[in-house]
Amino acid sequence: MAVRPVAAVSPFVRLKLRMLANGLRGRTWRVLLFIGGTLLGAYLGGMGFLLFAASAAGDAQVRLMVASFGGAALVLGSVLLPLVWFGVDDTLDPARFALLPLPRTRLVLGLLAAALVSVPAAALLLATAGLLVPAGVAGGPAAVVAQAVGLLAGLVLCVAAGRAVVSAFATMLRSRRVRDLAGILLAALAALLGPIQLGVVAAAQSADWDQLTRIARVVGWTPLAGAYTVGIEVAEGRPLAALAKLLVVAASVAGLLWWWSRTLESAQVGAASAGPARPSRPARAGAVAQLLPRLPGLPPTRTGALIARELRYWWRDAKRRANLTAVAVIAVMAPLLAGFGRLQVEPGSAGVSLGMSQLGRTSTLLVMAFVGAFASSMLANQFGFDGTAYAAHVTAAVPGRAELRARTAAHAVLTVPVIVAAGAVLALILDDPLSAVGGVGASFAGYGAGAAVSLFLSVLAPYPLPEGSNPFATASGTGIAKSLLALVAVVAALLICTPLLLLATALGEGWPWVAVPAGAGYGLAAVALATYLAGDLLDHRATEVLAGVTPRR
Amino acid sequence: MTAADGGQEPALVLRGLTKRFQQKVAVAGVDLDVPKGSFYGLLGPNGAGKTTTLSMAVGLLRPDAGRAYVLGHDVWADPVEAKRRLGVLPDGVRLFDRLTGPELLAYTGLLRGMDPETVDRRARELLDVLALTDAGRTLVVDYSAGMKKKIGLACALLPAPRLLVLDEPFEAVDPVSAALIRDILGRYVAGGGTVIFSSHVMEVVERLCSHVAILDAGVIRTAGPLDQVRGGRLLEEVFVQTVGGRTATGDELSWL
Repeated sequence: MAVRPVAAVSPFVRLKLRMLANGLRGRTWRVLLFIGGTLLGAYLGGMGFLLFAASAAGDAQVRLMVASFGGAALVLGSVLLPLVWFGVDDTLDPARFALLPLPRTRLVLGLLAAALVSVPAAALLLATAGLLVPAGVAGGPAAVVAQAVGLLAGLVLCVAAGRAVVSAFATMLRSRRVRDLAGILLAALAALLGPIQLGVVAAAQSADWDQLTRIARVVGWTPLAGAYTVGIEVAEGRPLAALAKLLVVAASVAGLLWWWSRTLESAQVGAASAGPARPSRPARAGAVAQLLPRLPGLPPTRTGALIARELRYWWRDAKRRANLTAVAVIAVMAPLLAGFGRLQVEPGSAGVSLGMSQLGRTSTLLVMAFVGAFASSMLANQFGFDGTAYAAHVTAAVPGRAELRARTAAHAVLTVPVIVAAGAVLALILDDPLSAVGGVGASFAGYGAGAAVSLFLSVLAPYPLPEGSNPFATASGTGIAKSLLALVAVVAALLICTPLLLLATALGEGWPWVAVPAGAGYGLAAVALATYLAGDLLDHRATEVLAGVTPRR
Repeated sequence: MTAADGGQEPALVLRGLTKRFQQKVAVAGVDLDVPKGSFYGLLGPNGAGKTTTLSMAVGLLRPDAGRAYVLGHDVWADPVEAKRRLGVLPDGVRLFDRLTGPELLAYTGLLRGMDPETVDRRARELLDVLALTDAGRTLVVDYSAGMKKKIGLACALLPAPRLLVLDEPFEAVDPVSAALIRDILGRYVAGGGTVIFSSHVMEVVERLCSHVAILDAGVIRTAGPLDQVRGGRLLEEVFVQTVGGRTATGDELSWL
């Protein structure tokens, strides 16, 4: 195997391609989604290419900063994005290789090779290929060759980092002991982005170019951007430095693969169970009392049972918990970014302070409406979370309206406090509680509008989730479906909210005083209308929804 | 087949049920009458269309053509009334397995609009009888395969339906639990209920059933009272003959 690495990993790549092709066969909408995803990848990759290539027109400092900061952003993005948004493609689930007599090294290399054959990886390669242009302009063929090696190494680093981190978090989320820690860790990690952004922008404003260049030079020596600054080193006549950077990247890849292989084992054996069984002490209370948590006002009826079950599932099901974590992350991160952004705009610009302040208010409203809509967009495939278990509702002939109302209510009980917390974060940063109250009102409207759209999507376009143990896994080809559906829900929700947001802007200082009732009323009206119409739809489509969320065997 | 027929309408009537998946015809026009109070076995080799037929009969899968009636109520035109009289144990379908056994039973009962006291009482009895009380607060996902079958059966029995449709109820169940389930189902039929279940275990069907139907390649090959179908032979002989199986000659697999 050490002699013929290509022969060792090529079966994995061929297996992945074959499974991808078989998954697409005879499923028109999947083919369309795949084409859509490929086009999106090509577009994003092309834009990245142009950005990197355009740095050829700048001087040496510009080239260094673009390569260094751009590369670091890509590496960080490939670690964070799978966690909070896209998930990872599950075509080759490690658990399926558990019984094969494969050395761990070969398995990891094979899975890595298979992961490299994907649309995101291709888009990443296309984007970073833009670095070849400045390398060629500044350093000729030698720099181009060095940079080509560098960006291949960078691609491997990005994919390995994404896989390793997702696998580690999946392991943590599966374990009952540390799963809450995992969520907090993720939220803290994402929350750090705010201060980092503040630091970077503040540095850009106060510091001179030389200081930034120095930072870029340091980042260029870390694994984050080492692979992307190789061409610059060669172009500036330091081949040894280029070699050293490649070694840094290679060592990082080796470390990440080692980490990945550690967690891979637990992914292979932990597939069946959600963890060690809880101590089975005999229950004393009646069955109904065990189901209904001590929430005031939850009646022992169908609605009460539905809400109680949903609440438990958001907590007990790792897939749902991963989504809730993402909401918490966004709810902390979005106000941070917006708040710091606004702070930077305002001080010292007395001449335009009124206009800026108005702009700041509007952006606060938009960001908070987005937070609300993002939170409810996870209802867009709510039946997919249940999978075939939804059959129990079909055989019990649960009325669609009751079903959708209960599901939305349970989700709101869990996420509305998070949204309000996001408003509190905003109030703290801005030191402007009134404006934050206005934002909370907007987020209620965004939440309701997002829920309304998502309810329709969940009934009309359900899709199956893999039944494996990795909460971040998406069935082959449906990662893009998740993103597209959620994106549709968020954009449509913001459109639905536009009248209210316009009204809020028009009211200006007066808006915060009516924001909460107005926003909540707007959101409730949207949800009420949606559950009424989509519930009727669900009554007629229950079996189609069930078929939609049933994984193909 | 309607109530006007004078009291003895069948519990389950299937008429011309058809389903095709892309090019493959899974069920090609199934007609079946399951008399009230019968213990009906649906036999068939793997891939015969048993699960597809039963799924269409209970309203889990929309047929391309045909109708299904539960005690006179059309499953597709009048689903609420039909499903109220129906208990189902589907195969290859997950339960809401992140609940504990008692929670799952309570959920099923409340979902069907039963009053909480009845749910509590029946859940306790069912858990006792099916020997699931010891599982305590274990989540159903951590149950063994046989325990999952038993809790699924308990969910189907909880609302005391008049018709039970069970897909492979004896698969993955150990002999002790199987005897228990046989016992419970026998009592249920003696009390006036009707059971139809699918299986490919001849011995169980022969021991339990009053009626059998043999399904092969999506078509009912033969159906009727057990003795009539058997005609004095062993059920296994009838089955292999009907389905057209082959027996090993002894030349193949000599390396074994």
